[in-house]
Order: sequence, then C-alpha cells, then structure tokens
Amino acid sequence: MTDVDPTPNTTDEPPVDPLPVASVATLCEELAANVARVIVGHDDVVEHVVTAILGRGHVLLEDVPGVGKTMLARSIATSIDCSFRRVQFTPDLLPSDVTGVNVFDQRNREFEFQHGPVFGNIVLGDEINRAPPKTQTALLEAMEENQVTVDGETRDLPDPFTVIATQNAVEPNRTYDLPLAELDRFMKKLRLGYPDPEEEHEILARTVGHHPIESLEAVTDRETVVRARETVTGIRVEDPIRAYATRLAGYTRENAEVGASPRGTISLLRAAQARAVADGREYVIPDDVKVEAPVALGHRIRTVDRERDGRAVVENALERVPIE
Amino acid sequence: MRLDVDGTIGPTVFRLLAVGCVLILTASYVSVLLDVTRVVGGTRTLFALVGSMLVAATILARVIRPRTATVAALVAGVVGFAYYLETSGLGVGVVASGTGALLEDVLTLVTGMPLLRMIEAGVWTLAFAPAPIFLSWYLAVRGRYASSVVPGGAALLFLVLTGDAGTAVTLIGTLGAIGAIGFGELERRGGSIAQADLIAVLFALIVALSLSVTFVPAGPATPTTAGGASDGTLEGTIDSASERSGISGQVDLSPEVRFTVESDRPSYWRTGIYDRFTGDEWVRTGTERPLEDGDELAGPPGPTHQHRQVVTAETELGVMPAAPEPVSVEGDVAEHTEVSRHGHVHPTTTLIEGDTYAVESAVVTPQPDELREAGTDYPDEIRDHYLQRPEETSSEFEDRTAEITADAETPYEKAVAIERHLRSSKEYSLDVERPQGNVAEEFLLEMDEGYCVYFATAMTQMLRAEDVPTRYVTGYTSGEQVDDDEYVVRGLDAHAWVEVYFPETGWVAFEPTPSSERDSVHEEHLEEAQDEDDLTDETDDEPDEESDADEADDEPDDATDEEGDDAADDSVPDVDDEPPTTDSEADPRDDPSPPGGPQGPIDTSTDDGDDDRELSPPVVITRELLTITAVLFVGLVAGVHRAGAIASARRTVGLFWHGRRRDPTSDAERAYRRLEALLAREYRPRRDDESAREYLSALETRPGDGVASDSEVRTVLERYERAAYGGGVDREDADEAIEIVDRLTRERLPVVGRSAATGR
Repeated sequence: MTDVDPTPNTTDEPPVDPLPVASVATLCEELAANVARVIVGHDDVVEHVVTAILGRGHVLLEDVPGVGKTMLARSIATSIDCSFRRVQFTPDLLPSDVTGVNVFDQRNREFEFQHGPVFGNIVLGDEINRAPPKTQTALLEAMEENQVTVDGETRDLPDPFTVIATQNAVEPNRTYDLPLAELDRFMKKLRLGYPDPEEEHEILARTVGHHPIESLEAVTDRETVVRARETVTGIRVEDPIRAYATRLAGYTRENAEVGASPRGTISLLRAAQARAVADGREYVIPDDVKVEAPVALGHRIRTVDRERDGRAVVENALERVPIE
Repeated sequence: MRLDVDGTIGPTVFRLLAVGCVLILTASYVSVLLDVTRVVGGTRTLFALVGSMLVAATILARVIRPRTATVAALVAGVVGFAYYLETSGLGVGVVASGTGALLEDVLTLVTGMPLLRMIEAGVWTLAFAPAPIFLSWYLAVRGRYASSVVPGGAALLFLVLTGDAGTAVTLIGTLGAIGAIGFGELERRGGSIAQADLIAVLFALIVALSLSVTFVPAGPATPTTAGGASDGTLEGTIDSASERSGISGQVDLSPEVRFTVESDRPSYWRTGIYDRFTGDEWVRTGTERPLEDGDELAGPPGPTHQHRQVVTAETELGVMPAAPEPVSVEGDVAEHTEVSRHGHVHPTTTLIEGDTYAVESAVVTPQPDELREAGTDYPDEIRDHYLQRPEETSSEFEDRTAEITADAETPYEKAVAIERHLRSSKEYSLDVERPQGNVAEEFLLEMDEGYCVYFATAMTQMLRAEDVPTRYVTGYTSGEQVDDDEYVVRGLDAHAWVEVYFPETGWVAFEPTPSSERDSVHEEHLEEAQDEDDLTDETDDEPDEESDADEADDEPDDATDEEGDDAADDSVPDVDDEPPTTDSEADPRDDPSPPGGPQGPIDTSTDDGDDDRELSPPVVITRELLTITAVLFVGLVAGVHRAGAIASARRTVGLFWHGRRRDPTSDAERAYRRLEALLAREYRPRRDDESAREYLSALETRPGDGVASDSEVRTVLERYERAAYGGGVDREDADEAIEIVDRLTRERLPVVGRSAATGR
C-alpha cells in the first residue's frame, strides 16, 4: 500500500463524474463503521474527519499522547484504498525530509526526484508541533497550494490530498506552536479526549492480542473519494446559509482579539456541504453549519486573554446569533 | 393612523413638542391660579406676571447660568411672599420672629385647605406664581426639559395638595410633564416616532390611573355634581362641605328631624357664614380657632338682647345651629367647638344624636329708623372682606341692580328694595336647572324661579355691587313649634338667607326668598314624605285611615294658622317692613308646618313628576370626556403597536388558516411557520439561535406524546428545509405539508378538533 505510486493531479484528467448524494451518504456510513472497528467511541470525531476529507480539508488532531490520534488517522487511511504516508515530526526534521529531494542517479547520470512523504493521498503529520517552523511550513504550504516546489520545479500533489496532523497538547516547552496563520490552513481542529470507562474497557479487549488495525480492509477507493468530493462541491448553499455563516464569523470578530478569517468561513461552508451530503441532502441547512462551526472556526480565533479557547467564542456565537 | 414608523423625526419637532408640553404643564397650574383670581380679583395682574416671567426667562436663558436662575427664582418667590405677608397685615418681620407660623400656614394649605379659603388668596396667588413659571421656562428654553418639569411639577403638586387642582387639570399637567421629559429625551437621543409610542402608552396609563385612583383630594374642583346626584337634598347642597356651600340644580327635601331647640322664641338657626363667592359656590375664608372654655364672643356692636337656646341633635349633625350672634356655648359640646373668623360656632367633630348644648346669643334689635341712618362708615375689615364679587361680573348685572335700587338712598333702603324685588319677581321652585356661569347673575337676569340658595346668592351679590357689605348665611328656619318653647327642625327647613352689615348695629338678616311660596312647596314635600311613610308602613290601609294618620301628624295646626297669616303679611313687604330678625314678635313665615290637611291620599301627579326627574339627567358628553377618550384611544393603539398585538393576531389567524396559496416554496415555508406557531402555543416558541431542526428535536425529547414526535412533523420540516435552503419544492410536496399542518391545527381546535380527529 505504501508503495502505490501516487497519481499526480494533472489538468488533462477528464472531468470527474459526481456520485449521487445517496451513495456518498452510504459511503460515509461505511467509512465510519469501518473506522469504528478500530476506534472505540469518538463517532463524532470520525465523522468530522470523514467530512473533512470529502470537503477537501485538512484536519489537526490535538490531544494528549496515547488517546488514539494516530490510530484514527491510520484507520481512515486504511479504509480508503489510497496511498498513505506518514511523517514523524521531530526537532531535527528538515523540509526536504517532507517534500523530497533531487538525487543524482549514477546510472542515468542525471538528477532524479525522490518523492517525499508529502506525496500521498492521506498524509499523517505526527506531532507536527515538534518540528521547527521551517519544516512545518513545508507541509503547510503543500496543504494550501496542493503542490510542492523543489529546486525550482513545481510538482502537483496527488488527488485527493488530505493531511491529518496531530499535535501534542502537553509538554509545551519542547514544542513549536503552530502560528495562527498556519493553523488557519486546517479545515478543522479536533480533540479526541479520554475514552469513558466502558470505552476504555472495550479498547483493552480489542487491542490485547492482534490489533484490529492489522486486519482492517479498505471499503472504498481513491476514485470514489474523488467522485464523492465532486458531489460535495455541488451541494447547494443558499443565501440564508451564507448570511448565517457571515454573521457567525462577524460575531467572533467582534468578540475576540482575532476572529474567524474569510478562509475560515469558506472552510466552514465546505465542511457544512460535506456534512449535508453525509446526511443525504443536496443542500446545506443551518444545522450543518452549527455542527461544523466549533471545529471549523474555533482554532482560527485568538481570544483577548489568550487563555480561553476560541471554541467557547464560537459556542457563544451559536447561542447569540439568530439563524434568520 | 399609519405613520412612517421607521422614519426619524428631526430633533426640532421633538424640541417643539417638549417645549409645548412644558407650556401645557405651566398652563395647568396657572389655570388653577386663574380660578382663584377670577374670584378674588387680580387676573390681569396674574397674566401680566406670567407673561413677564416667560419673557424674562426667555431672555435670561441666554445670559445667566442655571444656578443664578435658581437664585433669581427663589428671590422672586421670597419677594412675593414678603409682599403677601405685608398685605395680610402680618408684616415681613413675622418671618424672622415666627417662621413656625409661616410654615404652619403652608402646612395648612398642603393638608388640603383650598386657596380660596385664604383671606388674601389673590395676593398669595400672585406671590406664588413667578418662581415656578420663571424657573421652569428658563430651563425649558435651555433645553433641560427634565429639570424644567421639577419646579412646574412641584407647583402643580402643591396645588393638588391644597385641593385646588382638580382631576382634569392635574391630569393635563401630568401629561404635560411626562410629555416634556419624554420628548426632551427623544430630542436628545435622536429618537424616532416609533419610540414616541411609549409616551402615548404612558399618557394613557396615567389617564387610566387617574380615572381609577382618586389621588386628588376632594377639593373645590370636584364639582358638587350638578343635578344633586351626591346628596340631592337642599341641606346637602347648602352644607356640601364644611367650609363651602354649593349651589346645585334640582334638589329634594328631607323630612327627617335634625334637631330640636328649646327656645322662648323662634329664630332662624344659623349654621354657616360665607363671604367669598366664586360664581358657582360660596367659600368661607380664614380658619377657625378653638373656643376656649367660658370664652365670650364679642357679639354685635349695637344694642342686643340675650337669647338662650338649648339645641339637641336628633341625627348626626356636622353643624351647630344657633341664633345669630352666638356669644357663648355651654355643655359637653362646648369643648369641641371652634369659632370661625366670621363669628359663628362650628363643632370640631360631628354631633351625634342626643348631643345637647346651650347657646347664648346676642340678638341685634335694630329699628328701621336706626338702620336707615346707619350710614356707610364701615370698618376696613368689613369693607375688605364682604364686598367681594367674581371678577367677570357683567355690567348688565350691575345696571340691573342699580335700576332696582334707583330710588333707594341708604343701604337699608337698597336692601329692602332688592329683597322686595326678588320676592315679587321670582317664583319659588326646587326644580330648577343649575345655570352655567355666575349663578347670581343668571338668576337675576335669566331665571324665573329658584330656591333660597339662588335668592340669597343673588341678593348678596346685588348688595355688594351697590357697595353694601353683605354675606351669605345658611342654616335652618325656625321649624315646627311643638310646644310653647320647643321647635322641631327638619331637613326640609334648611335655608339660606342674607346678612347685611350696618355700622354701629352689626349684621342684620334679610330674607329674599318668597316665604309663602316656599312654605307651600315645603309643605307638599312634608306631606309627600308622610304619605310615602304611610304607604310603606301600612300598604293595605284603607284610604280613610290614611287621612286620619295624616291629620294625626299635623299636630301644630293651631300654631301654624296664625303664623301663616304673618307669613302672608310678610310676603308683601313694604319699605317700612322690618327685617326678619328685628321682628321679635313673630317670624315664623318660614315655618314649614303644613297649614291644612292633605288634599288627597296620594298626589299621583307629583309622583309622576318625580319619576320624570329621575330619568332626566342626560348623558352629557363633555369635551373633557372626549379628550380623555381620545388620549386613551391613542394610547391603546400605541400600546397595541408596542406589544405587537396586531402581529400576534395575524399569527393566530394564520395558525388556523393557511390562506391563499402562492408558489409552492413559500407555501411550504408558510406551512412550517404555522406548525412552529402551533408548537409555540403548546410548548414554547423557537429561540432565535435555534434551527428548525434543533427546535423540533428539542421538543421531541420532551416527555409526553408531543406533536413533535410525529413523523408527519418531520415531513413538514423536510419540506421547509428544502424550500428554504434546497432551492424549492414542488406543488405536491408543498400541498402535503399544508395538509399535514391543517390537520394538526384542526385537531387542536377546541370543538371542531374532536370531530375532525375522530372523523379522520
């Protein structure tokens, strides 16, 4: 699986035929069910990750170590039959370790590009906040542009391209916090949190012996995901919904030091589109926006006292901002 | 009534409105003061004062600072009151020596003594006016409306406490005050007309409150209901309040026994003296002082003879009948007696049945010759207080009076001429309509009949017009003589007459009311009352028994027969006729004892007349009532607008009736809105931040078989979401949603619902 050649996202590719909404909804269900074989609980987080992939977004998972961040990313990647790459961010990781380098081939006597781990359909950036900013930037640029430039040559990243980064919430002295501008490139920031006692019991029961990830099989393929993404793009977002999203963003701008950016609003609506599809609808309703807003906007907000979570601001916005 | 609700109104409009409201407030208390000056004089001065204060305030508003203005107003007030003290003979020095007395004065006023009862009411009014007018107008011109309401409101409040400001005036003043504050505030903050509706609501609220709560103490401004609805009896009118004597329209006579007098001779039993005439009622000025034990009153200056009476109250009495002029009171009641400035005694508490007191009176014994030669050398005190007439007395009244007294030279002759004129030219009737305006004038010039109140009022005013000090007195006629020295006085003996002052002699009573006519009218009433008593007591009695009973009631036939003759004589007085009280021999002309037996068992025609009279008071729509109704209406509309009642009514109708169908999309949305309204009535309304779906889910989790658990509701929701966010629905889907909501609402209709539900 790791050696599958990533298909470059070339412009001459024929236009993708969108899947019917109902099949995408089924697809989401299947994906979630498959992931649930490995991940106990956290159904909402799983759903968020799935919709983020369908909404062309990237996900940042933040939590203490050991709650299953990496496992979640792996399960998702495994459930989709596509290339999965993993980058373990460390303080000494170099940008070229992420993007790849030109290597001189003695036989052909020419430079050959050695693809870095970023060239995957799903890229897991583990403990992204352990690498210095320079290296982080290499990944984040790829996320924004869907392309990397090495030695003056620009190379497209495969389609779909989704980064699932994890970030350690403890040990702040030994990490490089992501700047707000870079956080903004993630569609959602999610938290897993500790499982409750029954869930933990279940986890123990599953993982003693063979880990279920080892027997996990793909339930869909790259093609389907691309077509599902096309479906999401075509989801109707009517004027009242756009106005509502604008009002929400406006509220955060008025009630925090730095509010949600327009990029944030775009991400929010994309996530809402994906959410609508997952629910089997061809149109976004306010509820989709309300479900996605905390995770899609929260990390883009800096509160005045810096201590408070941006999510709280969004929760307030949801309670205060009228829907119509 | 459709206003551009969102349109903002220029601050200029609000400014004008606020200033107008301050003017209304000012006008309200100035109008109260005007009522006073119209009676006691000084209206022109008051107008000049008000005008100059307004001008001064307007000019000074640009020049001086508020603190200076306040000081100026205070100075104006102090100077005014100093002048008042000077005039009322106390002197400014009294302020230094007796601030307490001054405070007491104010306190008396505030605790409900009407301005008109003040001896120097006119001067007081002029002293009172400048300060609040100046200060409030100064502040209004400077745009400080809220502060400007303070002095104006305080002035009005003071007049409310004295009882001079009536409900209507207080209401208008209060509305002015609220308007000034409200519009001033709107001007300051740049409000819109939509916010002005709050002021309208406040207006209406105040009006409604004032109609339901009587905060204004019952003062003179509370009219003694024309038509006599309050009491309706003659004595009720005469003694409508302890310090005032009203004049009403048609009155009744009460045959109830009020008191008995043991006296060796008959007399008019005086109960009250009034000196100030407002045009529609009499007011006694000044306060009473307690009668110290064994205190002897001065009595008349001229020769008198002593007359001792023992009066026993037979019902509750708020007055102390006594022959003029009482000089001392003995008995238990004595310590509860006070004496008015005019020299009559009054009880401080209501006398109850059985209370007895003995009065020693000094009765003047003037001879006509003496009176003729009495001259006009009146003491200042008399001249100052007993010549008052309302300001707007017409010249016609004076001309007519001059005509009547053309041949008379001395005050006595004038009095006799007027007395004779009134007796001969006017008929006696209890059934009159109270005239508008100056009663004395109307009676002399327009009316053909009236009763004692009208006669006495007219005579008093006519004599005053001729510069003869005169006062209006009330009381009872001598009553029914039941024994050699015992007189029974009934309610129907209530009477009003006139006292004229003669130097060296004192106050001498005159009787302008035609006695014989009065007798016959009163007699009828007594008979009627007796007949009615008989009827109620013994309904099954034979007619002849009734007449027996009537005869039994008419005991004092003998006495009345001879007195009746006297009365006949007196009713045609000549110039030499002696004034009533000088005739010591007999003055029973007003003895109302029936001279003869009843003419028949029941006078049905009179009864019919009574019925008609009861029906007669028509519903009068006054301008006041119209204004109040208008204010209430506007307030109601504004309140409705504020509370969104129209919208809510529309919602209610819309809940049960979908109305005309439009395009499917809006119909589906409409169907959901109806569903939402339905659920809002049943559970709770949707919060603003709640999506349709969240709302229904929240209701689903509620206990009980809520409508929200219905899958049909889900259908409506889905159609709605598709219509609102999904680019529309088709006709069929919309109709389905409407149908579902129609059914749900029908099931919730109280009566139809049951049958619809079962028929489904």
